[in-house]
Amino acid sequence: MSKSKAAPVPRRPLHFIGIALALVILGAYFLLPFVVQPERGPSTVAMLTESKKANELGLFKTGLELIPLAGLGILLLGIWNVIAPAASRAISLLMSVAGLLVVVYYINFFRDYAADEATFINSMDIAFWIMLVAGVLAILQILIPRSLPDERYRIMKLYGNQESVILFGLLLLVFFIGIANPRFLQERNISDNLQGNAYIAVAALGMTMVIVTGNIDISVGSLVGLLAVISGRLVVAGVPSPLAWLIPLFVGAGIGAFIGFLVAYLRIPSIVVTLGMLSIIKGILIIWTAGERVTDMPADYFLSQMRPLGIPMPIIIMVTLTIVVVLWMRYSATGRAFYALGGNAEAARLSGLSQKRLLMTVFTLNGVFVGVASVMYSTQFQIIQVTPPPALELSIITASVVGGVSILGGTGTAIGSTLATLLLNFIRSAMIFINVSPFWLKAVQGLLILATVLADLIRRRRQRL
Amino acid sequence: MTHLQAEQPSPRNPTVSEKLRHLLISQEGVLFVIMLVSVLFLATRTDKFLTVDNLLQQGRFMTEVGLIAIPMTYIIITGGIDLSVGSILGLTAIVLGWTWQELGFPLELAIITGILSGTLAGFVNGLFIVRVGVPPLIMTLATLALYRGLAEGISEARSARGYPEWFFQLGQGEFLGIPTQLWLLIVAVIIFAIILARTRLGRALYAIGNNETGARFSGLTVNRHLLFIYTFSGFMSAVAGYIFVSRVSTTRSDMGTGMELDVIAAVVLGGTSIFGGTGSIPGTIIGVVLIQLLKNGLVLTGVTSDATIVVIGSVLIFAILVNNFIQSRRGE
Repeated sequence: MSKSKAAPVPRRPLHFIGIALALVILGAYFLLPFVVQPERGPSTVAMLTESKKANELGLFKTGLELIPLAGLGILLLGIWNVIAPAASRAISLLMSVAGLLVVVYYINFFRDYAADEATFINSMDIAFWIMLVAGVLAILQILIPRSLPDERYRIMKLYGNQESVILFGLLLLVFFIGIANPRFLQERNISDNLQGNAYIAVAALGMTMVIVTGNIDISVGSLVGLLAVISGRLVVAGVPSPLAWLIPLFVGAGIGAFIGFLVAYLRIPSIVVTLGMLSIIKGILIIWTAGERVTDMPADYFLSQMRPLGIPMPIIIMVTLTIVVVLWMRYSATGRAFYALGGNAEAARLSGLSQKRLLMTVFTLNGVFVGVASVMYSTQFQIIQVTPPPALELSIITASVVGGVSILGGTGTAIGSTLATLLLNFIRSAMIFINVSPFWLKAVQGLLILATVLADLIRRRRQRL
Repeated sequence: MTHLQAEQPSPRNPTVSEKLRHLLISQEGVLFVIMLVSVLFLATRTDKFLTVDNLLQQGRFMTEVGLIAIPMTYIIITGGIDLSVGSILGLTAIVLGWTWQELGFPLELAIITGILSGTLAGFVNGLFIVRVGVPPLIMTLATLALYRGLAEGISEARSARGYPEWFFQLGQGEFLGIPTQLWLLIVAVIIFAIILARTRLGRALYAIGNNETGARFSGLTVNRHLLFIYTFSGFMSAVAGYIFVSRVSTTRSDMGTGMELDVIAAVVLGGTSIFGGTGSIPGTIIGVVLIQLLKNGLVLTGVTSDATIVVIGSVLIFAILVNNFIQSRRGE
């Protein structure tokens, strides 16, 4: 990614297309009879479902077809901004996602509409949300300051960075699977997928930092299991829920600091330390729990099942933490130092960075993120299994690596790892929706991981030329 | 033989006492002492541990890890890693069972097909690592999922059983009173230890691990060496897969899950630096044996088998710590 500082760019007319598109979409959101109802969303759906003959509503007379067109416009604008970056790339990427989703949802909607069925309308409430997001993003991209990208960056086009490659994959997946089987796009499936895997994305954030510094942590899988059980047992023993959510973070930080100490001060390679810790933690967990799962948690303990503002908590945590980590790694001194350390440890040392302190920091932070992930995991269901999902550490490392973190350190971003977690799990879900034999799921997934890694590699090689 | 990576060659022939001192403070020496102490300790706690029968039985159990640990040592010496070995083992087992039971191959041919497919899997790893330049950790992480997925897909979660009697000779039989597969391990260890320590091929691996660019400029065919060792790793994992099936009498697609970590732990415990450039087969074998004896001995003394992995994890960290300390003292 380009790191050069460049002069601000004057706003060109193109940027204001975004405003126009946003107005269309937001206007539709607030004005169209199809969308406007006393309570937006579900009740509209109920209304439409009631009058089975959707045609009677005369939707096309109201200009509804403008919405997917505006969505398409936002998609194209987003992609254009990624190719010739004139706006913040993250916003542009999100814009293309939102735009594409609007298009897909409305294609399915119109298809149902033409067939005079009202089945897909049930999933349109999520489309209303996306419309809102797309409109807001299109306005945001005007407001956020932009800078002229350097010459090298211009020619990188769509495969400019791994994040966009992943995003592109995600978009294609949603598009084709969404058209092939509209049920894939229903709120239930999307939100189940996001919620169920948010904790992997959070753990992958910590892993991303660790790998950026040129290290690795393979003990995270068993650590998630241990911290989840600690949290569960505490709350069953009568500790208030908020404390039971916080304590795993501190325990995680402590264990992370210990790993960091071994790596930084005693100079044992991180892969060896965490290989050892993997066994130690797993063993302690099994001895301590004797394989008994934790049950009977009080009702206020289930953080992951809460829905403030109607949005599931895991999604809120995942999105918030991803944004925080992206900004922190990009703009804070310590965040930059991680990249420096991973890029060239010797140069980092000569620039006066303390390698030991940085390593302690990164492993401690990783412990905190594992703590958060473990609480998200433990509050998901009514019971806490003492064995975390098998090979969880591999899922987490894979998410980071597929997200563009170079295993040699020095490059990679948090947004990439989160997107990769989503991609990998949507692929899994998508394969179920298009009836791939469940026995072949893992093979297809492995093949796709390989393809992503290869795409990343080929892109890097071209950049070097 | 023991301190292969000694950096300053002595100007004169070392005396016997110097040799002995070197031997003791080498990684293998330190580890050997740790092993002796553990064995003595365990032997005093239970009389079931230090018996010929028990030790031979343990030899049977550790053969698969031991066989895979040999190429893993080679790979780690070059600064690479192979995480897909457990999956290759599973894939081999499945191909073996599937070609025999579903496709109706004669069992001999099925075994060969299985081993060939495992070798091919290793070759694919090597090809991508060498030709495309994928970092080994990433490549084998991807194929870890891919090969396991292939095994699951081919087998469709069915297990193959009912092998004829002769098939179990390798995994459950004995030859001259010693488990058959242990013979295989012993021969493999001797051959590949000599290859690593005494041949051009072996020395080239150290050169690659110490400085790959340097090795390239010295005219070593680095790519061919790397391709060879990853293929070799696939081959040995495949042989281990065959032995595994023969030992447990059935074929399942989850065989060898997580084995990569056992193997890497043994290799690293044996003094092979994860950064490449140092290590030896004797060290690796001591690592394999130590882990197996600890597992078994602790269980026999009444420790639960889950607690043993705590001990093994601690020993791994502790052994590296001690070695770091001694090597840094030696360096002064």
